[in-house]
Amino acid sequence: MNEYLSIDGFSRRRTDRVAVFGWLVIGLFALCAVFADFLAPYDHSAQSRFEPSAPATTIHFSGLTPIVHARHVEDPLRRTYTEDTSVAFPVGFFVRGYSYKLLGVGETDIHLFGVRSTSGSVPRINLLGTDQLGRDRFSRLLYAVRFSLIVALIGVLVACLVGILIGGVSGYAGRLMDTFLMGVTDAMLALPTLILILGVRAAFPLELPMTRAALLLLLIFALTGWAEMARLTRGLVLSLRKREFVVAAVALGVSQTRVLFRHILPNILPSLRTRAFLLLPTFLLAEVALSYLGVGLQEPEPSLGNMLTAASDLDQLRMQPLSVLSPALAVFLFTLGVRLIGRSERA
Amino acid sequence: MIKLLLRKCLQGLMMIMIVSAVTFALLGFAGGDALTQLQDNPQISKDTIERLRSVYGLDQPLPIRYFRWLSGAVTGDLGESTYFRVPVSGLVWARSISTFLLGTAAFAIALTLAVPLSLIGVRYNSTTIAAFIDFLILLTASTPRIVLALVALAISVRLSASAMDSSSAVLFWLAALALSAPMISAFLAQFHGELQRTMREDFVKLARAKGLSEGNVILRHAIRPALNPVLTIAGLSLGGVLAGSVIVESVLGRQGLGTLMVSAVRARDLPLVMGVVLFTSTAVWLGNAIGELLQAVNDKRIRF
Repeated sequence: MNEYLSIDGFSRRRTDRVAVFGWLVIGLFALCAVFADFLAPYDHSAQSRFEPSAPATTIHFSGLTPIVHARHVEDPLRRTYTEDTSVAFPVGFFVRGYSYKLLGVGETDIHLFGVRSTSGSVPRINLLGTDQLGRDRFSRLLYAVRFSLIVALIGVLVACLVGILIGGVSGYAGRLMDTFLMGVTDAMLALPTLILILGVRAAFPLELPMTRAALLLLLIFALTGWAEMARLTRGLVLSLRKREFVVAAVALGVSQTRVLFRHILPNILPSLRTRAFLLLPTFLLAEVALSYLGVGLQEPEPSLGNMLTAASDLDQLRMQPLSVLSPALAVFLFTLGVRLIGRSERA
Repeated sequence: MIKLLLRKCLQGLMMIMIVSAVTFALLGFAGGDALTQLQDNPQISKDTIERLRSVYGLDQPLPIRYFRWLSGAVTGDLGESTYFRVPVSGLVWARSISTFLLGTAAFAIALTLAVPLSLIGVRYNSTTIAAFIDFLILLTASTPRIVLALVALAISVRLSASAMDSSSAVLFWLAALALSAPMISAFLAQFHGELQRTMREDFVKLARAKGLSEGNVILRHAIRPALNPVLTIAGLSLGGVLAGSVIVESVLGRQGLGTLMVSAVRARDLPLVMGVVLFTSTAVWLGNAIGELLQAVNDKRIRF
């Protein structure tokens, strides 16, 4: 952020407020990703066979306590449900559910909210309805944010490392190397990335377990996503390589690698960090696209992309467009948040 | 001009060679070809498979296979699709027509939105219009194509009670709109920004001083130099359109180059994958080259 660029105090404050909104959105996503198991009332793969493709649970109020009713399938073909209003189940905060490890360490079974069990069978509360296997869509969405963000984040890191390396060498090594590397970079930038990604993906088997699929995605991102970072790094390195402190280091006999990584790189790191952050939505979208097309992260683990395949069930899309498209909304919000922050970083 | 053309051609050729070689090598190293699946068939002996391999030349080392593929590609023969069982080149051509139409419509939408809006914004120089343009840039830049395509699908499902008809005009324009969103933002940002910069130039002041009306100043003097970055971006966004067509066509169930690529990847149809990659990279290079040529034609100040 550059204070000198603002003309008057007012416009400065307004852009900041927009950026604050962006940070709020991104912070919310980070919270969802970290505390997905605490926020989600149910396990992402727990199926409720008697409630496939159900709409969102209606929450009634008895006095001030929110309550839900059990529901039964009325017409299994048209997937309509009726509520059994004779028994009321209270909804509460910090309810016991399935057990998980909070932050990967402390084992607990407390969840942010849920239906309090009074006796026997307790109905499930589905804020966004259920999918075709009766899994709670809200819980799946939270886990999907976690899985997709992890892949996008590591993808950005890997691609940036490759890009910084190529860009740094290109900017510092000089003519012939520079011409060749930048030629390749320009080609990478112009090419339709998704088609390239799919081309690389075709080399590997279709069905892969979760961790291997994620690793494969990261490999593909590293192969195809480095170009933008390489361009930026090269420009920055070029602008620094004739500065006094670099020339001084060279004159003192410091090796080329050391000049590049110990003297130049630390000085350009802030700009690189900003750009890397702005690249996050690109990689998130690549994951979404690949998983939507069935060649990325695969079921039963949810990801923002493979949850969206539910939209091909046109009946459900017609009845509950908001629930089915909620992962798309999440993608939109995330992109918007990053853009808003990016705008004020540039201003 | 000739020099520029030659250089562009050389660059493009290099790019296409590199891309096709890398894809070919990756597909080759990953192992497995169209005959791998036959191994599971008990009625086909190992000898038969080996014989078929040598018939198709699959037992040759990778560089030789690449060279064969390349010499075929030069003459327009991209081999036969192992999944569709027809020549790849015919398949790619046939499917590219529908994608071409969709892409053209997307370009048209982006241009008809961005150009008049920027002109109006500069002509009346009002902060309201500028703020609206800013908002539109932000909105279209942060709405991914896949989100828009899904919303389009939801809308079309709402509109028609019956099953989706992929040939309907409404769906076509919705698809084009979804495809055009990032372009709208890019064109608007470039054209509006460049117009605003141009309006501060000396030759614009001179045009005003000689008494031209503001509208005439813009139409006769400011448009041409401001159009240049739009041409660059238009050439560059062809790659984005082709990549986006994969998503938009898949979501909205259209038969095109994008869905062809997806089915090729799903079926691990390697000749078809190579064919689509070759076709799209050639198309992208052509787009870039045309963009730069148009720039040189549009602005005589540019010399190469």
